[in-house]
Amino acid sequence: MMKIQPRFKNDIVIFDIEGEIKRSDITDVTLHQLVKEQLDSGRRKILLNFDRVEFIDSFGVGEILASYISTHNLGGKLKLVRISKKLYLIFQVTMLTKVLDIFEDEEAAMKSFF
Amino acid sequence: MARSRRRPFLSRVVEFKPGERAVACFFFIYFFLITAPYYVIKPIRNQSYLDQLGDERLPLAYFLTAVLMGFIVSFHSRLQVLLSRKILIVSSLLLFFLNICLFWWLFQQKWSWVPVGFWVWANIFAVVLVTQFWMLVNDVFNPREAKRLIGFIGSGGQLGAILGSLLVGSLARTKAFGVLLLIAAVILSIAVLAVLRIFNLQKKGQLAEEVEERWQKERPGPTPKVGFRDALETTRKSVYLKLLAGIMLVTLIVSTLIDWQFNSVVDNRVAGGSSLASFFGYFNAGAMAFAFLFQLFLTSPIIRRFGIRMTLLFYPVILLFCAAGIGTIAYASILPAILIKASDKSLAYSLNQSVRELLYIPISPEQKFKSKIFIDMFVNRFAKGLGAVLLWLLLASFPKTTAIRAISLAVIGFIAIWIYLNLRGSREYANLVKEKLELKWERGDKLVAEKMDVDFTRLVFDTVESKNRSSVLYAMHLFDMIKQDKLTPEVKKLISYKEDEVRVSSLGTLIEQAEIGLGPASQDELSEDVLKKEVAEIMALDVYQEVVKSHIEKTLEDRSEASTIARMEAAKAIGLMDSRAPAAEKLADLLEDDSVEVSRYAMESAGRLKRKEDIPSLISKLKNPVLREDASNALVRFGPIITGTLTDYLADQTEDPEVRRAVPGILARIGTQEAADFLSWELGGAESELAAAIIDALEKIRTEDPHVRFSPSMIKARIFTEVKSLCQNLLGAPEQEARREKKDADSEEKRRAELTWNIFKLLGLIYPQQDMVKAYQNLKTGTKDSVAYALELLDNVLEKDIREAIFPVVEDVPTEERVRRCRALLDSLSGGKRRE
Repeated sequence: MMKIQPRFKNDIVIFDIEGEIKRSDITDVTLHQLVKEQLDSGRRKILLNFDRVEFIDSFGVGEILASYISTHNLGGKLKLVRISKKLYLIFQVTMLTKVLDIFEDEEAAMKSFF
Repeated sequence: MARSRRRPFLSRVVEFKPGERAVACFFFIYFFLITAPYYVIKPIRNQSYLDQLGDERLPLAYFLTAVLMGFIVSFHSRLQVLLSRKILIVSSLLLFFLNICLFWWLFQQKWSWVPVGFWVWANIFAVVLVTQFWMLVNDVFNPREAKRLIGFIGSGGQLGAILGSLLVGSLARTKAFGVLLLIAAVILSIAVLAVLRIFNLQKKGQLAEEVEERWQKERPGPTPKVGFRDALETTRKSVYLKLLAGIMLVTLIVSTLIDWQFNSVVDNRVAGGSSLASFFGYFNAGAMAFAFLFQLFLTSPIIRRFGIRMTLLFYPVILLFCAAGIGTIAYASILPAILIKASDKSLAYSLNQSVRELLYIPISPEQKFKSKIFIDMFVNRFAKGLGAVLLWLLLASFPKTTAIRAISLAVIGFIAIWIYLNLRGSREYANLVKEKLELKWERGDKLVAEKMDVDFTRLVFDTVESKNRSSVLYAMHLFDMIKQDKLTPEVKKLISYKEDEVRVSSLGTLIEQAEIGLGPASQDELSEDVLKKEVAEIMALDVYQEVVKSHIEKTLEDRSEASTIARMEAAKAIGLMDSRAPAAEKLADLLEDDSVEVSRYAMESAGRLKRKEDIPSLISKLKNPVLREDASNALVRFGPIITGTLTDYLADQTEDPEVRRAVPGILARIGTQEAADFLSWELGGAESELAAAIIDALEKIRTEDPHVRFSPSMIKARIFTEVKSLCQNLLGAPEQEARREKKDADSEEKRRAELTWNIFKLLGLIYPQQDMVKAYQNLKTGTKDSVAYALELLDNVLEKDIREAIFPVVEDVPTEERVRRCRALLDSLSGGKRRE
């Protein structure tokens, strides 16, 4: 079961995601909805932390991309940190590493917003 | 003056090549000098036997000859191993010379057994000397040379037979009858000089070097002994040799039966003693005169015109008609007996002998050496023996008056078998000639195609190359390999720089840690199947398409060199998507990219997605030599659906010539019957460069798929066009040589080589391709023998109109002759005779 917990540092929203993001485990509130809520509340800097994510399927990638588009359309920035090697590999093959900003550690990701 | 007058006559009848004239003339003399004495001996043999023992005892003579010949065959084969060809032949001639003198003395003694002994000895004389003669002919000449010269050389034998027979016919009733045998001995002794001259010519180098080599190879020494069993085994193991043996067996059974019919009628109708000898002499002279004229003027033209297969049927079919006539209408009268015997004798010594010797030529020297002993000497005698037994049986079963008719019916039955064996033998002959030709080299393009998968090699190369340029491109390439199930352990090792880089089978481990710079490695691995599924699903997402399309658009805004890799990545990524994906629309822009590398990746993706809208762009790339190969590869991937479009471009004369020339190669790789049909159609009006490309393409289709059929009329029409061009080129060659314009001459030589190769490629479309390639290669680089076998193959395989068009341009003839033939051919081709 996926758990998403928002944290706030300065004007950046950090979503700590835990568990698996997949089609079969759709929760009441999706990642995209949570991001949109933050965007609606005026926040434009969003960091998705995947440190505790065990698995993401194409549905999960779709959530990330939908969040990216929403953020981008509003002039915001959405970045990813500590994604697994497997996901990074999938992002490479699909060229998403060229679209998404991906970081190894949170500090570097935070700095990149400024 | 006398010499200059003689040359044109001989040249009209015989086509001599440089260095052949003297050897051929001495073979003519040699044959003359062994047959003339035999035809002195033969009537005396018949007369003495019939006078002493009568026609009823003839089967005994046939049988004794057959039995004793077995021993002679065995003895002769041992001598062949022990003695050199020269010593064997010369000593045989001298021995027979002494034998004739001995028999002359024995006849003076009036002993009753002498005619029996003389009959048997006379047959041994004929078989041994004639066999040795043809062995030497086979040693010296290859099939083409033999086919040309055999008529002339063989006619020496007929002339000798006529002279010998006339000697007996005219002198038998005079006092000289007693010394006829001594005259034969003197003539035979001169044959020794002719044989020595032939061997001397070899030493003086007037024979081709390869003849010398052939003699050296076959000369006894280390050669193992050949016994009867060995000779029998050699024949037994080969279908072809068995057929030759069968033909010989049936021919001689028929001949024996006819011989008895003739001798029986003559013995009863002609007075004995010198009159009988005189009759046989004149009969032989008449039959041999006919055979001589037939041999001199008709044998070679018939063989050349009708080929071995049809020529082999002439002899039995004529005898069949004669035998049917005797058996049904006029048996036991002298005229039909003379007619059938004369037909048998004249055709046996002209057409049949020449064709039979030709049939031995494609056999290897070792097989020939062994089988000829068995067939020519043992089977020959065995057939006579079998004929004798049959005669005995028929004579014992029927009264003498009806026996001739019964024998005629038996002759008809054997001729039917003979015709069947001839047909099978001629088919095997053509197969053997094909086998004689070796493939001189493998085609480079074919070898490459067989040994490696070019597309896959390119993918590996691109993968390795992308490793240092972009981790995204690298990952995409690796994924591409996984998608195609080609990321084998060997390929992983090949792609890795360091051995320890390849650790496990998952793709993830191939991504370098430093390059990725991520956190702790995941415990579980990503299986290749999951990876394929996930990537496909992600790429199908609308959000993905929206994000990536937007990214590509941004990438395309910057066409600088610095962003080349980004555009390459975009082009590669599109190739991994579905053809209906929105981002795939951007492929059109990427195809037009200035960067060759981007364009290459885009073309590869276009080939995968097979979007109709990308076809014009891909075809336009064919103009560019740098992009042509990739554009072709991409177009090939569209498969048969693109055939019609490509043909439209090919047929459009306003289209860029480079594009038109590239199209046949693509159609060839598509390789369908439809592609072949379109290409054949376009071949008709194509100018030379385009035609060359189409011919290459058609040849490729033929090589890849032997089931594809080509229109013979269209292909033949093009063959005649190419032959015409080659003729025109050849006619221009002497002028260039005269002007000493080396550069022009070289380029024209190259053009001639191209035209010749085109002709053979076209031939390979409507005849067995491998045979045509062999013929071409052997003609181009082969030895004298290879060239001869190649021409022999073409002679046997090609239809008459094609053969007549091809030979003037491929045969090795003196320049003057070639010019004459080319002019004649051009006249004929321009006359529209060959328009299909």
